[in-house]
Amino acid sequence: MHRSVLRGLLFASPWIVGFVIFQLIPIVASAYFSLTNFNLFQDPQFVGLRNYQRLAGDDLFWKSLLNTLYLTVIGVPVSLTAALAAALALSMRVRGQWLFRLFVFLPTVVPVVAATYIWRWLLNGQYGYVNEGLGALGVGQPLWLEDPFWTKPALILMGLWVTGSAMVVFLAALQDVPEVYYEAAVIDGAGAWAKFRHVTLPLISPVILFETIIASIFTLQYFTQAFLLGQTRLNSASGGPENSLLVYGLYLFQQAFINLNMGYASAMAWVLLFVALAGTWVLLRVSRDRVFYAGD
Amino acid sequence: MRTAKMAKLWAVIAAGSVAVAACSSSASPSAASPAGSAAASAQASASAPAEKVTINFPYLWGGPEGQALEKVITAFNTSQDHITVKGVSSPDFQKQLASMSGSNGFDISDNFGSTVGSWASKGILEPLDDYMKADNFDTADFVPTALQSNQYQGKTYALPIAVHTLLLMYNKKMFSDAGIAAPPTTMSDLQADIAKLTKADSSGKITQLGMRSPDYITLAYAFGGKWYDDQGNPTPDDPGNLAALHFWVDNVVKKYGADPIKKFESGYGEYASAQNPFYTGKVAMTLDGEWQPVFIKQYAPNLDWGVVAIPYPANQATLAGATQLTSSMFFIPKNAPHKQEAWTFLKYLTGKDAMTQFSHALGNLPARTSLLGDPTYNDIPQFNTWLDSLKSPNLRIFASLPSTAAYQKDLGDEFQLIANLQDTPEVGMAKVKAKAAGYSQ
Repeated sequence: MHRSVLRGLLFASPWIVGFVIFQLIPIVASAYFSLTNFNLFQDPQFVGLRNYQRLAGDDLFWKSLLNTLYLTVIGVPVSLTAALAAALALSMRVRGQWLFRLFVFLPTVVPVVAATYIWRWLLNGQYGYVNEGLGALGVGQPLWLEDPFWTKPALILMGLWVTGSAMVVFLAALQDVPEVYYEAAVIDGAGAWAKFRHVTLPLISPVILFETIIASIFTLQYFTQAFLLGQTRLNSASGGPENSLLVYGLYLFQQAFINLNMGYASAMAWVLLFVALAGTWVLLRVSRDRVFYAGD
Repeated sequence: MRTAKMAKLWAVIAAGSVAVAACSSSASPSAASPAGSAAASAQASASAPAEKVTINFPYLWGGPEGQALEKVITAFNTSQDHITVKGVSSPDFQKQLASMSGSNGFDISDNFGSTVGSWASKGILEPLDDYMKADNFDTADFVPTALQSNQYQGKTYALPIAVHTLLLMYNKKMFSDAGIAAPPTTMSDLQADIAKLTKADSSGKITQLGMRSPDYITLAYAFGGKWYDDQGNPTPDDPGNLAALHFWVDNVVKKYGADPIKKFESGYGEYASAQNPFYTGKVAMTLDGEWQPVFIKQYAPNLDWGVVAIPYPANQATLAGATQLTSSMFFIPKNAPHKQEAWTFLKYLTGKDAMTQFSHALGNLPARTSLLGDPTYNDIPQFNTWLDSLKSPNLRIFASLPSTAAYQKDLGDEFQLIANLQDTPEVGMAKVKAKAAGYSQ
């Protein structure tokens, strides 16, 4: 018994050592640093909860939190709806189905930095193709990257291009729905909408919940695209026009690596963890009566 | 048998962790005084002259500027029999910072003088005073304001290689097309010229802008403003600063509209390219730096341009020639493994010959007063106007203090709001002042 436990630990040790060195110690250290003034170069000075108190009065902290929540609360439902719509369309049995699936998934393979730079061109207020198309339609031509009102919709628009991974998961879930339920529904006189609303949706609801939670947690950590769109020169971590692109991760980065306030940035990281926990708890709570598990 | 094997395995693991511990213990910043370590390494090199020391020199420059620096490095290496400098272009500020927080970093690198206050106060930089004293290194020849921007609390932490000033550049063809005989000398002239040179179509869409949005910090100096008082306290609401912001807001933004201007600016090409709006004639004037003649030769050789001092307010001729000076500098980080050798190289870099060669290749202003009249620079078009700007009594620097980075960032955020008419200059600068109260000194 004793020996087998030891041996088990030994076999697991590559992971244990890695976990302790690269995760556990940094997590504990950041919890400690969040209670200090620490600039990376000099010894941290313990200041108790002062960093957390300062956060409460920091208008850029609130701005960055609201920007991130905007992307989460609006962007996640929009992109998941698009992914689900694509999955539904692509599960139709048509000739060349694999080709359509390939086309929808393809942008997901493009590296995010390259994709963002492409969108920077597409979204240019004067010369971009997006506005050229909108102009031809006779609707407004927003300044996607310069007008603080439009920068976050621009990010959400960019996100619609790369819904491939969620789409694949939905596609798999759709194929798991037993055909007999649809037959029964048709016999009861259900149309296409009724079949979707009362058969498909309940049966894939656990997958939708899972995707929502994962996408929300990812969006709370949003960084790369906002960093690249806000960039005015090499290496600048700008928050974009009137800080409308200052997402939480970007502000944390500014505090840590531009202002060298590592303690303050650590406190921000911990606040984000609690925001993510609270958001997940709310999602699970709200969905409790709305998600249907086939096994129940 | 089995236990023996296991014991061996544990021993290996334990040895591994000891090795890790050994590495990290050498990470602790050495307590040796700079002079002490300098002496030690000097001794080491004296006792073993055959062995060459390689020092690592990552620099932020790239492209043609990086190539110019490589030439200086090669010249140094051939002149030396005990130091080899290994230069590498590494234009990443975060990487530069990260290397300086570790145990073993690079030996020497470059940045702007404005970082000195913040970095020196955090103990990132090696003070150079002891090295300078040991070698009787004379700093009297450096442009005084440039040297000053590399000092913090009485110590010198970096030496300038080049300095930069912004002046008013203008497109001669656009001026004559608009019937303007001479470039502006006063702010009233500038105001009138902007009006003559800005064009919009019947729908209010701007097709040409008299002047590109200026650097407000520099424009404020031209209005007699200041950003710090003599005690190092931020003064964003200085009357001169407010006058400069009002000049731009009242004469340009309110006149042509914040949205049309934003739309026009979204069509600007990259700064360092043939699509720079000043080169393409989208804007007729711009506040820009002494590197422009070399840039224009490369990107817009047919541009007919001129340059003059920044105009002064009509009733304040004493403010003529006001502009901001910034400096590019070299420094040695505290964690550099070969400080004495890095100093030898730093001395070479900021010496007359290397400085002339490098600043001439980049078209930057040299940081030594004795080079200001040097004929080497004669082949750079209109460079004299920038050289003369260094003699102005109204040359200003943005103080390099621990709060500088945060202050400039807060100002930048607020300048945007003011230029978009979200805040008046008074409200905006009052907000920055409130924030500045929270900066750690």
